[in-house]
Amino acid sequence: MKVGKHARSVSIVGVGCTPFTNFEDHPETKGMSEGDAFGYAALEAIVDAGLEPRDIQYFYHGAANPFMIGDSLTPNMQVADWFGVRGIGSVHHSEACCTGYVALQEAAMAVASGEFDIVLSGAVDLAASLPVVGAPGSFRREFPLEEMLPSIPMVYDRAYGRPLDSAFGISFDNWINEYRWTYGLSDTDVDNALNGMAKSLRRAAVLNPLGFYDEDFDQVAAANGMASADEFLTSMFNPKVTQYLRVTGFETKCDGAAAMVLMPTEMAVARGLDHKIIEVLGTGSAAYEGATLANEKSGTVRATAQAYELTGISPDEIDLFMVNDFFMAGDIVAAEECGYIPRGEAWKYAIEGRCAFDGDKPINTNGGRCNFGHAHGASGIADIVEAVKQMRGEAGATQMKKVPRTTMFRGFGGGQNVRVQVIRTHE
Amino acid sequence: MPLLKDMEPIVKKFYDGVAEGRYWGRRCKECGAIEFPPHLGCNTCGYHETEWVELSGHGTLRSFVIPGIQNDKPYLKAIGAYGYGAVELDEGPIYTFVVFGGKKKVVKGLQQRLADGEAIGVHAKPIAREVPLKSGSDEMVPWSELCFELDEVAE
Repeated sequence: MKVGKHARSVSIVGVGCTPFTNFEDHPETKGMSEGDAFGYAALEAIVDAGLEPRDIQYFYHGAANPFMIGDSLTPNMQVADWFGVRGIGSVHHSEACCTGYVALQEAAMAVASGEFDIVLSGAVDLAASLPVVGAPGSFRREFPLEEMLPSIPMVYDRAYGRPLDSAFGISFDNWINEYRWTYGLSDTDVDNALNGMAKSLRRAAVLNPLGFYDEDFDQVAAANGMASADEFLTSMFNPKVTQYLRVTGFETKCDGAAAMVLMPTEMAVARGLDHKIIEVLGTGSAAYEGATLANEKSGTVRATAQAYELTGISPDEIDLFMVNDFFMAGDIVAAEECGYIPRGEAWKYAIEGRCAFDGDKPINTNGGRCNFGHAHGASGIADIVEAVKQMRGEAGATQMKKVPRTTMFRGFGGGQNVRVQVIRTHE
Repeated sequence: MPLLKDMEPIVKKFYDGVAEGRYWGRRCKECGAIEFPPHLGCNTCGYHETEWVELSGHGTLRSFVIPGIQNDKPYLKAIGAYGYGAVELDEGPIYTFVVFGGKKKVVKGLQQRLADGEAIGVHAKPIAREVPLKSGSDEMVPWSELCFELDEVAE
């Protein structure tokens, strides 16, 4: 299926992101509500764009699970006043972990259509805790695993995928398992690749002031009396919890919010900004229910083909690749399927550290879901914030050696909704 | 416009069938592909009309995932060694199911056998499930989950 181009060029002109952490663990953020968090991220994005809240004409609100995590059915209605846009139109959307990428696609379409000129698109999930139902938003309580686990299958089809139990069963490992047998790898090869990726990602997250972790795996190993990161990563402290994935291969659940402001590229150029304008070239979309064969792979193949045809770019033009990696194997298999790394090679690149922010094929320069942290619906926008900062040359300690001009995102989530998107510095 | 007399609950017929050991799919009236489990439209060619067709419940294993503690289900382990697999029914459709393998050793070896190109036959193995009508309720809602089992287990 061919996807049409935007009716007019759209650019990202402002970005904002809160720390991705457990708000309840820090005195600065303890008691933060969804409105506070969304408001901070939204206002940062608006100011970054050189605008004021009164300039925003419409906004999108994303959250992965507002009913359970936010005690709310209409979250867009409940955050608008927080950033000074009372009265303007808005909508809430929820695509689980794909929410943040849908947030970019929908906002870009709203501007491209001509319906609005200046749109904010944000998302928030306070995923490290649960609301105290009946009390004000500043009261949160612990979120034990036994309360989280029953909610996970809700992303799968209630008719078949969930009751037949295969959607939950296959989704973590089916693609990396296929990859392993296609290229004749051993269990140990896959393990080394995932651990190599984990080391690169953690190093970036520690250097990122918004990231969840303060210690890299060498420091974690030392704290546990071990000689090296590799010893820790393959130890009983980091067991395999699926056939291939260790604890460090799964998301770090946290609180966070992120936002971006979009406007027509022509308007951004005319206004003049104190930073680069980042054009949204387009989005490829696909969705395969969790119990369908090779769901994540099928969606990535379809959405990637659309994205390349739509944008006309070639794989060697991609300077930075961002992947939703709430189970980390996605970094390896998606990087190849999207053409960023040659087929059959990404597992070796991961072991050699070439996918680190300072390597020659950077992936997830903020550390990704397992290390930067995963505030579910907000994480896709956090990826966009990171890419925009890299493209402007504003990424600080984790700035890529060569400032990237073109970034591809492979977003997915929600069993399994996929978006493949390309943004490029406007010149 | 569909009228009440033209409608029927597709998902109910599927699960009622599984309970009786009968496996209902929907065949596309244009391309002939089969939706299994059944849906209203055709996901192979995108045509709007399908009709009931009864399937054999036999197929071939196409891929297999071995569970770890993160994706293990105690109610399945209580029945026997199992994993999650893509099953291609003899009549064509592919979908993923729980697949029982008899012994743990057999389950652990399935990926290598698939990689070697072996055709591994499987057959339907419905298992009885029940859940409380609502939290804390004594009233249970019974239903039948369609799983598969390696043919070699039954032989």
